[in-house]
Amino acid sequence: MNKKNLKHILSIMVDNEPGVLARVVGLFSGRGYNIESLSVSEVDSHKFLSRITVVTSGTKIIVDQIKAQLAKLIPVHNLVDITELKSFIGKELILIKLDVKNKKTFDLKKKLERLSAKILEENDLEIIVQFTGSPNEVKKMESILQPYKIIEQTRSGLVSMATGTDYIKK
Amino acid sequence: MKKITGAEIVIQTLIEEKVDVIFGYPGGAVLPIYDELFKQKKIRHILVRHEQAAVHAAEGYARSTGRVGVVLVTSGPGATNTVTGLADAMMDSVPLVCISGQVPTHMIGNDAFQEADIVGITRPCTKHNYLVKDVNILPNVIHSAFFIAKNGRPGPVLVDIPKDIQTFKAVYKGKKNTKVISYYKPNLKPNINQIDQFIKLLEKSEKPIFYVGGGVINSGEVASKNLFKLIKSTGFPCTQTLMGLGAYPTSDNQCVGMLGMHGTYEANMSMYNCDLMICVGARFDDRITGKVSGFSPKSKKVHFDIDASSFNKSVNVDLTVQGDLARILQAINKKIEEKKISFKKAKIKDWWIQINKWRSKDCLKFKNSDKIIKPQHALKRLDFLTKKYNPFITTEVGQHQMWAAQFLTFNKPKHWMTSGGLGTMGYGLPAAMGVQIAHPNSLVIDVAGEASILMNIQEMSTIKQFRLPVKIFILNNHYMGMVRQWQELLHGNRLSESYMDSLPDFVKLAESFGATGLRTEKPSEIDDLIKEMINVKGPVICDVIVDPSENCFPMIPSGSTHNQMLLGPNDKVEGEISEDGMVLV
Ligand SMILES: Cc1ncc(C[n+]2csc(CCOP(=O)(O)OP(=O)(O)O)c2C)c(N)n1
Ligand SMILES: [Mg+2]
Repeated sequence: MNKKNLKHILSIMVDNEPGVLARVVGLFSGRGYNIESLSVSEVDSHKFLSRITVVTSGTKIIVDQIKAQLAKLIPVHNLVDITELKSFIGKELILIKLDVKNKKTFDLKKKLERLSAKILEENDLEIIVQFTGSPNEVKKMESILQPYKIIEQTRSGLVSMATGTDYIKK
Repeated sequence: MKKITGAEIVIQTLIEEKVDVIFGYPGGAVLPIYDELFKQKKIRHILVRHEQAAVHAAEGYARSTGRVGVVLVTSGPGATNTVTGLADAMMDSVPLVCISGQVPTHMIGNDAFQEADIVGITRPCTKHNYLVKDVNILPNVIHSAFFIAKNGRPGPVLVDIPKDIQTFKAVYKGKKNTKVISYYKPNLKPNINQIDQFIKLLEKSEKPIFYVGGGVINSGEVASKNLFKLIKSTGFPCTQTLMGLGAYPTSDNQCVGMLGMHGTYEANMSMYNCDLMICVGARFDDRITGKVSGFSPKSKKVHFDIDASSFNKSVNVDLTVQGDLARILQAINKKIEEKKISFKKAKIKDWWIQINKWRSKDCLKFKNSDKIIKPQHALKRLDFLTKKYNPFITTEVGQHQMWAAQFLTFNKPKHWMTSGGLGTMGYGLPAAMGVQIAHPNSLVIDVAGEASILMNIQEMSTIKQFRLPVKIFILNNHYMGMVRQWQELLHGNRLSESYMDSLPDFVKLAESFGATGLRTEKPSEIDDLIKEMINVKGPVICDVIVDPSENCFPMIPSGSTHNQMLLGPNDKVEGEISEDGMVLV
């Protein structure tokens, strides 16, 4: 039996109706499951469908239980455990505001360019950097920018899809 | 097409769903619906005296008929009063539709008078719920609610309808032309490969047991019939959960009784020692398994259920088959016939010899008395004297509930209504009302404790109004007996707050509601009391004064396994009850 705690990325297609996120999140909190990251948005405005990506972790038994409980929610159309598929992509987005008052930014900007980070805002006081990447890449970016004075930062949850067919059709 | 109001739509959709009775209580936010109710004759409204009772009554109605029970309540306190009932129905998989009024849409979120976020409150204790903000989707929502309530694993669905929506107008084209708005399609058909795998296990087993739960009853009479056929053709023993009593006749010789915390010795020992456990529509609840790590250590386990989330939830099983139990059992029977498998009695002969040895312990024996009524004796007499009427039994929660499960006979499904999952004191009386309304000419008995009965005693007034001949059989031990039993066993006999002081005179109480009150404390009078109870045409409260010190055995103490049962008061817990055990409920 697999007793190891593993990370799982669940992609859930749901009716985009009020309260649907509360149902999903309430299921996790009510049953004591983990949510490591969460992102939601409408993906089909004709059929009113939203896609939720939840990153959770647990033993195989627990994760199977999470999936079975989610599948039971009435507004859930379909769900896929992306981590169980052969190959998939997972991306996060981070925005970081750096304090650049009285600082030279030439090196910094070079570095950012090399890492394909975007500068969204730049003035004498601050630079706002946008970076998209895998969770590891985002973490690396955070550590690269650590030496600079970070005013604030915000990070999206993971969004993810498998390569190949649409596993979450409908 | 003619437009009608939301309130009219509510009534029309209910009529189309063939609802003939609803249990409810009016208030400001549902007045338009009550107005429509007043104008029609197809639906009968049963006015309860507390909204919790409306839900339990609807549960009794649903569980004794297999139909959806319907509740109608007002916003705020009316709606919040239903929460315990909805949670109860959720735990025991009872199909209900609860319609609640809500403050008008523009007031929602304003802390308006009698506003409660009932959709938020009941989200975890309903199968699904809706807040209807557009009158045009009201027909879809109500028909969807019925569909969801009764399909798949049944459960309660709440529909919250703001008052303005009840007055707005929309077109209703009838159920046929109304699209169900929910994407919900539970799979009913079992996977045949898994059935084949199961047959192989069946053929190999030398120590099998069927472990039967309430899912069989929910699936319907066909499931019970198919199960009976399967158990008879295999010759295997069968045990039932509290919820499963009646799914297979409990007086049949292959039935080894209820299992679990207060189950029989033979049932629990069979579960512990079997080599093949066949779980049919049960869910390995903690009251069944005892300490999970020591649960039936040597067996292969097979689980049949409509609800895939019940698989491997608390106990790992070797084979699962998802689908409607009637169909799963039918597929198995068919395979057995096709393959002409005949189960050899010789193979399981030793197993039955062993089981009969366990049986011969006679674990339900008790020392009867001619001075004081033993609760077990009272129930044995109740069983004997009412059997021929094929009564419907409901219960409250406590020792009396467990004794009723142990000492009454359940040979038919849908005749036993008890709060299994939530363990709700106050369930039995309103549930009995719902049963009686569905079966006006049947004998309906609420086996009660003197503490539990007081939790919904106001329903005597409903019983009077609707002339419901419900019989209330109180085993009055002057204690919250089950609480006292645990305090004796686990808390050094410190009986903190479990004595029932200042009880009413139940005979006078009955009389004050126009019912008959009967009381006895003499073992010699118990038969006459029961006969009198049956003979009286109207409602009866029987106050049966029983031994206040009697405890319910056998018992698996918390944190113990099936082979560590206490068989009687002189049995001591082996060693101390572990800390792990102490924290269990
Ligand atoms: C609503 C509710 N509150 C508390 C409990 C906890 N509880 C379980 S059994 C019991 C005592 C029941 O006493 P009584 O109805 O007299 O039954 P007895 O055990 O004496 O047969 C209590 C308080 C419960 N099950 N339900
Ligand atoms: Mg009592």
